Amino acid sequence: MISATPKRIPMTSGKKVIWTTGIILAVLIVTVPVYLLVKYSISDIKSINTGGKPIPWWPFEPTMQAFLYLFRDHHFYQVLLNSVIVAFSTVVLSLILGVPAAYILGRYKIPGRKLLLLGIISVRLFPDIASVIPVVEFFIHIGAHQTYWGVILAHTLLALPYVIFIGIGAFESIPADLEQQAWVMGAGTGQTFFRILLPLATPGLAAAAIYTFLLSWDEFIFAYFLMLGNQEIFTLTLYLNGIKYAEPQNLLAAISVCLSVPVIIFSLMVQRYMIAGISTGSVK
Amino acid sequence: MHSSSVKSFFEFIRKAWPLLPATLYLTGFQIIVFVYLLGLSLSDPAAGVEFPSIQPFLNLFADSRFQSALLNTLLFTVVGTPLELLAGLLLAFMLYQSFTMRGVVRSIFLIPLAIPALVTAMLLYILFDFPGGHINHLLAGNYWSLPAIISEPINWRGSQFFSMGISLMGKIWRDMPISMLILLTGLNSIDPELFDAAKTMGASLFKRIFAIVIPLIIPSISAVVLLRSVEMWKEFIFPFVLAGRYNLLGTLIDFFYNELGNSNRAAAVAIVMVICIVVTTLVLLKVMELLQRVLLRRG
Amino acid sequence: MADVILRSLSKKFGNSTIIDNLDLSVRDGEFVTLLGPSGCGKTTLLRMIAGLESIDSGELLIGGKRYNAIPAQKRRIAMVFQSYALFPHMTVRRNILFGLQLNGVSQLKMQQKLKWVTGFLHLKGLEDRLPREISGGQRQRVALARALVLDPDVLLLDEPLSNLDAALRETAIEELKRIHRHVGKTIIYVTHNQVEAMSMSERIALINNGRTVQYDSPTALYDSPSNIFTAEFIGSPQINFFDGVIQAEEDGLGVMTDIGLLKLDKERNSRLKDLAGKKVKAGIRPQSVYFSKHSDSRRHTDTVIELTVELVENLGDKYLVIGRNITGAVVRFLIVRDEEVIPERKMKVFVDGRKVHLFDPTTSLNIFN
Repeated sequence: MISATPKRIPMTSGKKVIWTTGIILAVLIVTVPVYLLVKYSISDIKSINTGGKPIPWWPFEPTMQAFLYLFRDHHFYQVLLNSVIVAFSTVVLSLILGVPAAYILGRYKIPGRKLLLLGIISVRLFPDIASVIPVVEFFIHIGAHQTYWGVILAHTLLALPYVIFIGIGAFESIPADLEQQAWVMGAGTGQTFFRILLPLATPGLAAAAIYTFLLSWDEFIFAYFLMLGNQEIFTLTLYLNGIKYAEPQNLLAAISVCLSVPVIIFSLMVQRYMIAGISTGSVK
Repeated sequence: MHSSSVKSFFEFIRKAWPLLPATLYLTGFQIIVFVYLLGLSLSDPAAGVEFPSIQPFLNLFADSRFQSALLNTLLFTVVGTPLELLAGLLLAFMLYQSFTMRGVVRSIFLIPLAIPALVTAMLLYILFDFPGGHINHLLAGNYWSLPAIISEPINWRGSQFFSMGISLMGKIWRDMPISMLILLTGLNSIDPELFDAAKTMGASLFKRIFAIVIPLIIPSISAVVLLRSVEMWKEFIFPFVLAGRYNLLGTLIDFFYNELGNSNRAAAVAIVMVICIVVTTLVLLKVMELLQRVLLRRG
Repeated sequence: MADVILRSLSKKFGNSTIIDNLDLSVRDGEFVTLLGPSGCGKTTLLRMIAGLESIDSGELLIGGKRYNAIPAQKRRIAMVFQSYALFPHMTVRRNILFGLQLNGVSQLKMQQKLKWVTGFLHLKGLEDRLPREISGGQRQRVALARALVLDPDVLLLDEPLSNLDAALRETAIEELKRIHRHVGKTIIYVTHNQVEAMSMSERIALINNGRTVQYDSPTALYDSPSNIFTAEFIGSPQINFFDGVIQAEEDGLGVMTDIGLLKLDKERNSRLKDLAGKKVKAGIRPQSVYFSKHSDSRRHTDTVIELTVELVENLGDKYLVIGRNITGAVVRFLIVRDEEVIPERKMKVFVDGRKVHLFDPTTSLNIFN
């Protein structure tokens, strides 16, 4: 028997009140911090250093001061540029390494496939903070410490498993008939890959690329250990951490907002994809 | 014998060569990590200890800083995991009912995940400022005649208890959507007719939750407990920003490496952390296995 | 007392009315089936009686007490679901005893009931199995056992046999009849399968579009359909319908249709005089059309039809023959399988006038009610 709406559970009014209160409370708990972050980023100094008076829930004189300061600071632009360079390069490197791997794993049965997949996931099981020391020491030995390359290589290490997994999903979903059609028409493996498979896998790979970009953009641990000492190449996360004791809170908040904005935008897009991945299996 | 396996190896390379760069990259790094960790932790040039020796570990265990960090992290995990499970359960239960704005509310609940951890930590840094942060003002009763809970502002980052507390709060806030999603998947796989049947047999809401829902989502609960406790052990960002003076294992590594310049001791801590994670995982898996058996045996 | 009375019951889902001012009364200890096509509202009705769906308007009385606002948990009813809804993480024993445990029944009593019901329903030896470890038929009996041990006032069954194959279903039907005889409870059964309904029920409520179309014993529904829907729904193979007009000439009193002038039995035929000229729909079951080698074994009131065979379906012991007469009207009838029947063969068949049903095309009602 299929009911009109899925899981409409009839509730007594008592229960409904509790439930509604709960939802409102939960929504507040989740959104108020975000609001506060934004509030601080547009706060004037008097709303922060109130000299003992309670901090207002809405700034006395909201201002874009903090943001203007940032965008006039050429050091800030350098930092932004650093983050972009690192993130972008990470995407490129991860795709170069990961897409071919995903292609093979997604469309061919090779011996030891399961083991390989297990191995790839387990790379991410190892704590970041634990693998950071060896990586830094190694980079010092090869001279990649405190360079862009060091961070890029490290971020690629973090992102590669995800790129491969998402890529496998993207390649697996392409029906075999299309490939076979191409072969029948005389295309070689390489041509088939570049002209048929790759274009069709692009939406999934785009998601992987976005995810990688965000991962690198937000990353703190490896960036911190690998860039400490060379302020020139600091990424946004490091910059934020470096000034947290010195600068006023509205500036900190403004930088934080800058850190979060691309993430939130892309998150909403990627979110639908990720939920599909986690929630499959809810079959009665 | 030998020639055929070599042949098939070359066959393998010919077919699967695009796989190699990525595999080599990942394997290479894993090897580097293991080699360096072991190499570094089993020696201590500064103290004149040659490789290999477990003396560095013994020295580490004697270090009071390490002892308190280990204890702190243990507490962090033991307290944080159930709290995160609870938060995820509450959110999942609320979303389980179908209602008009369900999709919107679910997206809202996922917001903490979208915010970079560093940003969340920074926000808490600002809010829990001493002496004049928002929270101190709130607790002092300075808003809308809300009651005053404290008479003196709290130095959040200056106290072990409070700084750990707010680190935990930040971590839970940020990660609870993941628990929620896992638990929601489990909830969705329960046949709704089971609730109807239980109702006709006289089961109250309480009974329905504890006799039917919870047992059926044990797999999801186990997944959450396992994943989250591992996360707690390796936590770095929140304690780094909010509890700088007191150590968890993660921040201890930073302390040894960046402030003391002692890569050996830092590596040793890293190894201890990994061991803790492995042990916790094994213990939890065993516990879950026993739990399954107990649940089925009764009656 | 566990009689169930539904009075002017209504329920809407959004803009559509599922249950439309429905009346029904079930006597204490009676076995009643709610029968109807998919979507007619019978399951919703059952769930309203169970307390799983709310009642928009009207009254539900069980044992004389108004049950509208009483929540499902407090009603003394038990329900067996189409999917059985066995708790997958509990053994058969725990499933069966779940409800009793909730009510704080003593251990001794629980074991006694368990013993009784597992014996009664042939479930002995399965007590420690999980639902996924037993067969579909066994699961169905566990669902029944679970309901029976609660000793409810009313037992509700929602298409409990639809997941069973034909052979199992027959055995299950016997079981249910046996249970009813033995346990004597009021049973309300929902199905879209008329064979189940006809073989088990004391009365059948035929439901369509949220209303009761006819509420009678199986025989009455079959022999005296009060409207076109009943005539069409009940009986297999499906009834033949012909449009016709009532003729009132002296020796030609009957219904003029495409297959000829249909005469009814004496008693009803005489009443046709008052309805001369009326347009009707005539319904004739395939079972009421017979073939005989000897044309003088027919009754005076029987009508002869000359047909050409179009199609023959083998039903096992009988053929279902589909034939056309000169005007192109299609007649479906049954014939014992010792005749050789092939397409193109011409046959003469007879319509048993006693079994002809006449309906008003506009109201759909039987004109003789």
